[in-house]
Amino acid sequence: MQWLNLLNANFRKEYIEMKRYLPNTLALLLTFYIIFLAAFFGIMFVGDPASFEANVQYSIVSVAFWSLTLMTMNFIGFSVVTEAMRGTLEQLYMSPMGVWKIMLTRIVGQFSLQLVMMVILLFAAMLTSGQWLSLNPMTTIPILTLTMISIVGVSFMIAGLAIIVKQIQAFLQIFQFVLMALVFIPLSVAPFLAFAPFVKGVDMVRMVMMENLTLSAIPLADFGFLLINSMIYFILGLFVFHRCEKLAMKKGLLGQY
Amino acid sequence: MEKIIEVRGINKQYVKRKTKEVITAVNDVSFDVHRGEVLGLLGPNGAGKTSTIKMICGLLQADAGSIHINGLDIKKKRLKALKHISAVLEGNRNLYWRLTVRENLEYFAGNRGLSRKDVKEQVEKLLKQFRLKEKENELVNGLSRGMQQKLAIAVALLANTEVILLDEPTLGLDVEISYELREILKMIVKEEKRTIIISSHDMPVVQELCDRTIIINKGTVVVDEKVENLLKLFETRAYSIKLGGTLSVAQEQQLLVKFPLCTYEGSSHETVVNINLEKSEDIYDLFDIFKAEGTVVESIDRTTIDFEQVFMEIVKGEKAYAMA
Repeated sequence: MQWLNLLNANFRKEYIEMKRYLPNTLALLLTFYIIFLAAFFGIMFVGDPASFEANVQYSIVSVAFWSLTLMTMNFIGFSVVTEAMRGTLEQLYMSPMGVWKIMLTRIVGQFSLQLVMMVILLFAAMLTSGQWLSLNPMTTIPILTLTMISIVGVSFMIAGLAIIVKQIQAFLQIFQFVLMALVFIPLSVAPFLAFAPFVKGVDMVRMVMMENLTLSAIPLADFGFLLINSMIYFILGLFVFHRCEKLAMKKGLLGQY
Repeated sequence: MEKIIEVRGINKQYVKRKTKEVITAVNDVSFDVHRGEVLGLLGPNGAGKTSTIKMICGLLQADAGSIHINGLDIKKKRLKALKHISAVLEGNRNLYWRLTVRENLEYFAGNRGLSRKDVKEQVEKLLKQFRLKEKENELVNGLSRGMQQKLAIAVALLANTEVILLDEPTLGLDVEISYELREILKMIVKEEKRTIIISSHDMPVVQELCDRTIIINKGTVVVDEKVENLLKLFETRAYSIKLGGTLSVAQEQQLLVKFPLCTYEGSSHETVVNINLEKSEDIYDLFDIFKAEGTVVESIDRTTIDFEQVFMEIVKGEKAYAMA
């Protein structure tokens, strides 16, 4: 019950703040849409006309996922930095629930809101390009949920770093291009990327949406791999976060910015 | 009274990043806080008060020593111990400025695992008690500093913990708001019977609210005494004596020998002697000096001393204070 109350409070806070910072949210959505347009027109004018449809579909899914992973993965790190700047980080650390739980519930809330944004972006991109993908929610949602676990893990690692050094904005700016590469490079070109967080999941969702696959059509081994990959990154993320928390408490860094 | 907080030999050192100089913020500090007690934590800037409070909250880890909250070691069982503590930390950013007054109360309750339904009645009570009801739907960034501070205290109270830590609750507030806040705190002390630790530079707050005070200077506890006892101790031996006429040279010399810290000033028809006696019986020696030359004693006033003066004397070391 306490978990539910925590989730409710943090989901509500994220929703209220998203509404109050609506221009920011819309600007972000517009940015991703412009990036998609750039990719779309690039394919239209420079790409191979024979594979035009496949390329456009690939870029639609990739841009949508890039926006989702970028916003979700950086979320806890940004959240920690913002709390430290506002001076509320120490107050969060006064919660007997633990900050990792607060952040986890916040990211669940944020992910749900970002998912809505991703769907809007997907539809806008499909409408612009005239290329309609199969959203297939019964298949994509379970894969997305599993993929999300590894994204949260990396997000906790970034947050741990943010607790110690605070000024991580420059790092996050570079990181968005690393994420872009991870999302856009197909696994067929670089199979080793399957060991990176979320890449396998994104590849699976892309396949489902482009080839209109059902859940049963995906090999069980792929699900197993995705689950293990996600769990490893999640546990690693929490471990890094806790170590960083301890260090921050030892050095008195929680209240500093 | 049962102990609710036990602080034993805590130490905290910081290393300056650039110079690598080691600074001792807290040095072997020990004290207990009893259930229902209101404790004042005093000291000049940089004395180690905030570090001590943060260590009690588990926000800062002590290099050595231990802190137990309701028997729970803050280092080993931090989250369980935090169920018994809430705090208003130094500065004015204990709240979310883009949330309203009510949203802040509900959010922080939620972060402690409480639902909006659980705290509904108490939120209403606190909004009324802190005169925030009219502002409940206003964003915090639109409130005055005093209102924000009142809300921060209301948030701490909503947690319903046995212990509340208030770090500089009246810092930066104007006289009127500071007075209002003091009255609210007095009401909380009277009605809620919670254990409260107040770190403050505001001596009237400490004098009016606290049962006991701990004065920290340079990271060390220099005084751990009841406020009442401290005032008595300093008050009873300070006198202002008005004499008819002037003191003779012999009397002046005797005064200087017996009471070197004594001061006097006067005119041809009256002299005022200000004296701080080390022992109560010294008063007889003083009067012997006056009696020897038939000096008329017109009035004797016991100098009233407020807590600010007591604090200043202890911190500046002008008055030797033997720890009980």
